[in-house]
Order: sequence, then structure tokens, then C-alpha cells
Amino acid sequence: MKQIASLLLGFMILIALPSCGEAQDSSPATAEETTADKFLDIQELKTDSGITVWLVEDHTLPIIAMSYAFKGAGSAQDAPEDQGLTIMASSTMDEGAGEYDAQSFQKTLSDNNISVSFRSDRDNFTGYLKTLTKHKDLAFDLLHIALTEPRFEEEALDRMRASHTARIRSSLSDPEWKAARILNDVAFQGHPYAQNSGGTISGLAGVTAEKLRSKVLPRLAKDNLMIAVTGDITAEELKAEIDEAFAGLPETAQLTEVADLTIQNAGTITVYEQDIPQTVIRATQDAIGRDDPRYYPAKIMNYILGGGGFGSRLMDVIREQRGLTYGVYTGMSEMDHLASLTLSTSTKNESVAELLSLAEQEFARMRTEPVSEDELTRAQSYLTGSLPLSLSSTDRIAGLMLSLQLEDLPANYLDSYDEKINAVTAEDILSVAKDLLKEDALAIILVGKPESITADKTVTELPNVE
Amino acid sequence: MRILLALLFVVLSLPAAAQDTAAPAREKVFNAEYFTLDNGMQVVLVPNHRAPVITHMVWYGVGAADEKRGQSGLAHFVEHLMFKGTEKIPPGEFSTRIKAMGGNDNAFTAQDITAYFQSISSDRLETVMEMEADRMTNLIFPPEDVESEKLVVLEERRQRTENDPRGYFFEQMNAIVFPNHPYANPVIGWLHETEALTRENVMAFYKEWYAPNNAILVVSGDVTMDTLRPLAERIYGSIPAREVPDHNWTAVPPLKATQKLIFADPSIQQPMLSRVFRVPSENQNKEESLALEVLASVMGDGQSARMYKSLVAEQKLASGISFHYSGSARSDGTLRITANPAEGTDMDMLETAIDSQLRKLVSEGVTETELSEAKTRLIDAAVFARDSLQGPAMVFGYGLTVGSSIDDIEYWPHNISQVTAEQVQTVAAKYLDPDNVGDRPYTTGYLLPKAQPAPAPEQIEESAE
Repeated sequence: MKQIASLLLGFMILIALPSCGEAQDSSPATAEETTADKFLDIQELKTDSGITVWLVEDHTLPIIAMSYAFKGAGSAQDAPEDQGLTIMASSTMDEGAGEYDAQSFQKTLSDNNISVSFRSDRDNFTGYLKTLTKHKDLAFDLLHIALTEPRFEEEALDRMRASHTARIRSSLSDPEWKAARILNDVAFQGHPYAQNSGGTISGLAGVTAEKLRSKVLPRLAKDNLMIAVTGDITAEELKAEIDEAFAGLPETAQLTEVADLTIQNAGTITVYEQDIPQTVIRATQDAIGRDDPRYYPAKIMNYILGGGGFGSRLMDVIREQRGLTYGVYTGMSEMDHLASLTLSTSTKNESVAELLSLAEQEFARMRTEPVSEDELTRAQSYLTGSLPLSLSSTDRIAGLMLSLQLEDLPANYLDSYDEKINAVTAEDILSVAKDLLKEDALAIILVGKPESITADKTVTELPNVE
Repeated sequence: MRILLALLFVVLSLPAAAQDTAAPAREKVFNAEYFTLDNGMQVVLVPNHRAPVITHMVWYGVGAADEKRGQSGLAHFVEHLMFKGTEKIPPGEFSTRIKAMGGNDNAFTAQDITAYFQSISSDRLETVMEMEADRMTNLIFPPEDVESEKLVVLEERRQRTENDPRGYFFEQMNAIVFPNHPYANPVIGWLHETEALTRENVMAFYKEWYAPNNAILVVSGDVTMDTLRPLAERIYGSIPAREVPDHNWTAVPPLKATQKLIFADPSIQQPMLSRVFRVPSENQNKEESLALEVLASVMGDGQSARMYKSLVAEQKLASGISFHYSGSARSDGTLRITANPAEGTDMDMLETAIDSQLRKLVSEGVTETELSEAKTRLIDAAVFARDSLQGPAMVFGYGLTVGSSIDDIEYWPHNISQVTAEQVQTVAAKYLDPDNVGDRPYTTGYLLPKAQPAPAPEQIEESAE
């Protein structure tokens, strides 16, 4: 129902959508020194059963928030004919477990204001727990049985299958959702990332309790588990609760190897013609990840080009000067097997060619001229100055810590972050822009009725839906 | 994009969600501090010292509902133009400067309010206050920026409404829920009216409504009143008060006929039912509004609530359903039921099932157990409302702008704890009875698939509606 809610929200409308470049790139920026030397006082704990957990104690409010992930256990593990298997696991593990049937499990959560929920993306299977301190034992107990004794009853499977199928069918009038289906299919061609992590209608239809038990649960183990907790709990209390919840899991996850990937069909334009007034534009290309020494220059390059929302070059030229769009963003995303940079925007059908040409000019300018000192300073100042904003709630702190763990970064990583950002020069950015922003590197997807565009490919049927 | 929608959803549902607040024993939820400047501008501080950051918001008591006839979209257009420059800050520079200080900013418009905010390191508070105060009175509206920004707003309308039939559907639902009332017009504006807006229109609207005595300052975060007060007095207090018009709105008249909207579109694959009741807002009737909050929790709060349990889990007539009361409005509130029929369920069956849940509610009310469970949920949730920087600022800003008092917000949990089963049944009977709608008939909308024009004659029999 979330989509419905977002549509209803015509009631309250924003000057701009939060920049998706920033939203996708969850990598942290750092603060101009908030406390003495540590940005975040992370305790790295080991429980009696050997599980590692990161904790930031914060007794301001009687709340505990936990984010955790089973790394590599995401939907890229699903076979092509089983698309939707992982999302069905994440949406039915809290639908009855142990002594509780679906109704009583959900009612216990609701009556005690406990969140125990699971999610999955391509790479990871993740979970979230939030509770008032007074209900913490119950919360971790419910998590324990959801992880180790999910019932996967036919009734719950059918109900969740119906809900996901309805979500897919509802999305079929959403051109942004359609653009995502095509982008994945074209740019990740031949790779498990091309599949629909939200499932296909036939894949969902084939999900059984047996498949969930034999194909998804074995991916959830202690050796790929990462946990981040913040809030009103001490280290000793937490260690006991973590063992209560997770110690019963298998030692070793059974995972299928997933190959690395580069963007496919670079330099092509794919059009899915739809009778709508505005064309949704997505364009993606290869980028680099955090293990590359050019990562920080690339990050700042992205911010200046289109990651920063207002003030970025693309936003300035395309929205502010010409009024061609409500928003234009670039975002760097790092998945386990692919680092990419993606442009997202939309414009009326008549303006697509003009917008693409302006975007190309900005990509070209970035790779041929150094950025100005002013642009560099502003970017560095934002990236280093905005981090404390991610400490404003228990959820955000837990999420931040988990993202460090998933990227295999040390707990003290944030302490030296601004040094790395501030060390970047305009020459570094030019150099990485030359390497990355090559001509014909983008795989472009257009959904709408774009005028004056020559398509290399046309799509007639949406991939990975049925 | 999922992230964007999720963010929007979060931001926009805060006013309602964040009312889910604290402790029954008449304790305050937020412990906000407040005073009023000599020029009439109210100042509210919600202290939160977890991190060295603040959210600074200015809420204007003007929104789309205050537009003159024929000028829909104007309030929102003015909001966009607030980023288009003063003598001190050139067009387009506002957000760029905020970002260069490590902050994020945005603004939003609704029927009743227009608000601007920055989230930033607390040592930048003075600077953002000066920037915000500057654009309260000093906008220059460069003609070329007004023109190019109108194009942006039209692109925004395409993106929000015109590119997805669901956008048109909800826009039109709203239009018929509120006949003769300004809430009937979309905040983004009707296309033909927004296209025709002029620089003179925006300047007049800005001069009429943007004044300190029509604004509320809300600061949440790591600052004390000792710091905030002198800054507010100097920076906002120096702006002279001006006469601001009343909210002279026409009302929905007493009506007799229930309304049904049917919209079929070829790109719709999943039918959807929407039922909207016009009900009192908190501003119009506090007691009934509190009862409606509890009612909505019993009916719609999660999978163990009545609607989901009955229609989705037991009867299998819907694959999803929501039941939501919006009471934050200067004028009428709404209660909205939205449902996706299960495969093989036709819309009439679904609607009948919804009606029978409503009839049961009207005739039997809620049980004492349901009542106390709902109250506990709402009251416990208060603690979570404090676990945020922007959330509490949204609650105060929205609430105070549409007529709530500080105490209404601070003591909301206590007030919820006082609701009785009888009050819940009374509001159900008064506003939600399908067999007796009185003079407030509800509106039902069906969003349906429509057969594509058949490409070849032999495929005609496949087309089904």
C-alpha cells in the first residue's frame, strides 16, 4: 500500500525530491569534529557464541534499534525461474513461527509496538528490530523464533504471494518502475542482477515452503551475519540478547557464487514506447567502488556532476536554467559485483533529445576541464559537514554502522573520513573523470514517447514481470 | 526510486504518525519551549541534544486552499520561487549555500500550509535564520526565473500526476470529495490554471500572505532557548507585522447523494477501490478527532486490525487494505479506505465486505480489549516520535499552523487515553454508517483495467474488462 500512500501525497508537495544520488550512495561523510576524537563511540562486542556485534549505547530514550544483514544472501541467489523466492522469505518469516500462528505473531508485535521485519535486496538479506526497552526480551525472542522456526504456512504464503502479485500489477502503470525493469534487463544482461528482486508473477506462483526451507534459510548463517545496534542497552545485556536471537543459526551459509559484472549494452538507447506526456530517463555506466584508490575523487566528481541536487551542474543547466525537468540526479552505487553511476531524470517527450544532449555536454565537460576551486570546496564541505545529520535517530545510527560493516570498513573509519575527502584535488577529479566518463559508456533507457530519438532497441514487452 | 517514494511517504505521514505520542499520566511528550515575538511570530523549540545538529523550519499559515479561484497551483509556485533570489542571495543560490555548509534543505506545500526547512550543524543556526528571514520579505522574482520555474512546476505535474493514471484518479477523487470547497483543487494546480499563472499573481500572493504574524518558527535539536531567543528576536523580530487576510473558504454544503467515480485505463492491471469520508479534523472537533484516531487504529493499524484480519487474512477478498484517518487540517479531515481486490473478487463484493465491517462497527462498536490495545499502541508509539530530529518539528509546525495548541500536542497521549468505547461508536455512527450518511455522503472510486484497443480482430475475445 506504500505506493498508494505516495500517490495520495499530492497533498503535500516538495520543492524537490531528496536527491537520489545521495540516497543511493549511503557511504558516510564525516563531521567537523563533534566529540573529542571519535565520531561515533562504537563498541565491537563478541558474544559467548562467537557472534560479532557493533553497539553504540545511547540511553537518551528507552528505545533499542538493530539492523543486521546476512551478506550475500539476497535475491541474486534466486534461480531465474524462482524470481521472488527471497522476497517471499523476507515477507513470510514474520508470518507465524514456533508457537505463534501468523495472526498471533503479528498481534504480539503490534500490541507491544515491536518491529521485527525482514527485507532483501540483490546482495543481502537484511533485518530490522526496534523496540521499547521494556519489551526487549520479547522482541529478541520473537526474532529468534522467526529466524529459526518460521512456519511458512500455506495460508501465509498465499496471502503474501497475492500481495506481491498485486504490487507488481499495480506498478504496471508506473513508468519509473517500468524503466527500472528495463534498465536491469539491458544493463545487467545475462547476470542474476538482471532479475526482478521483487519477483515475477510466475516465480512467485512457484514459491513453496519446501523451497524457502531448502533454498533461502541455508543462506542465513553466523558466518555471513553482521549486526549493528544502538540505543538503550548495555553491552552485557546485548550480548545475551544476540545469542538468544542468533546463536541457533547454522555456522556456515550455503551460497552460490555470483560473478562480477560490468554494464552491458553501453552506448545504446533502448526505448519502451508508452502513451504518456513525459519520458522517464535512466542511464547507467560503470564506475568504481571503495576499494579503488580513485574512489574519493569519483565520489566528489559525482557530487559536482549530479549527486548534489541543487547546485550540481546537471541540476543547474537542465532544471534551473532551462526548466526542462523537476529533477536530474546522478548516483554512484556499489553492489557486491558491480559499481555503477546512474543518471535519473524525466522530461516532456518533446525535450528528451535536448536534455540528453545537455547531459552529454556536462559529462564531456567533466572529463575535459578541471572543476573550479569553488565547486571542489563546496562539495568537500557538504560531504564532510553533513555526517552529523545521520546521527539524529537510533535507526539512522544503526543503519550507518551496518553500512560500514557491509563494506568491510573498520569501526573507526569515520574518524579519518574528512581527511580523505579533503585530500582530493581538481586534478584527481579530472583524471578519474577521464577514466570513467567515456563517450558511449552509458546504457540509456527511455520510457515514454520521446521525440527525435533514434532507438537502438525497442522493447515491446516488459521483462521479468510475468 | 523506491527510496524516494519511501522518503516521501515518511515525510508526509509524519503529521499523523507523530501524533502517536507519549505517556498516559498527563506527561508532556516533547517538553517543547515556546514564546511569541512582538510581531506575532510564534517560536517553538524542541530540545534534542543527541547530535550537534538542528532542524530549522518556518511554517506559513497559507496553502493551496487560500488561492483565488482560477489560480490553482499558486501557493506551490510561490514556494518554488522562494528559492529564486533576493538582493542578498541570487536565484538558485539558497540551497547551494545550505549544502556548502553541510546542510540539507527543502520546502513543501499542502492545502493549509507552506513550510521551509534546513537540517544542519547547530553552529549554523544563526546563518540559516538570517537566510530564511531574508526571503520572508525580500524576494525579487526575476521574470526569466519565474518563466523557467513554471516549466519546472509543469514537469513536476507531469511526473506526479499525468504520467500515471493513479495520479489522475486520486486527483479527481479529491475533487469530488470536496464540492464547493478549496480542498477540491490539487496542490500542484490544474494544468490550464497553473500554465496561466503570472509574475503579478505570485507577487500579489507573496505580499498578501508572507508575514511574520502568519508564520511559526520551529527549531528542533541541539540548541537551548537561551541561544535561540535572542537570535529570533533580532532576526525575525525585526520584521514588521502586516495585515494578513482571513482564510475565507467556502464550505461543502449538506449533500444527499453518495458519489461514485469509475476510471478505467489501459495501463491499469490491478484494480483498486478507494472510499473517502469527510470527517471532522482535530481543529474542528477535538473530542471526535481523538475518537477517530482510536477508531482508525482498531480498524486499520497493522495486520491484526479488523480490516486486514477480516478482508485479507480470513475472507481473502482483498490482497491489501488500508484504513487511515487524517485529522491535521484547518477545515475538514478525511478518513480513507483503500483496497486491492483479491484475484477473482469483483469490486462490488469488496465494497459490500467493507460496508459490512462498517455496519458492524456502527452497530456493535469496539470491545474494551480492542480499545485498550489501540490506546496502548498509540501511547507507546509516542516514545518513537521523539526519536527523530525532523519528526517533532513537523508535528508542532503542522499542528500549530492548522489550529492545534501546544498542549494538544504535548498531552496527546493523555487525551487518547481518555477516549471511551462509546465515543468511538458515536463517531462511527455519525460519519461512517453506510446506511445513514446524513448530509455527509461518502465517495467511492473504482480504478479499473481497460482493454487495450485490439490490434487484430481475432484477438477481440481476449479483451476483458
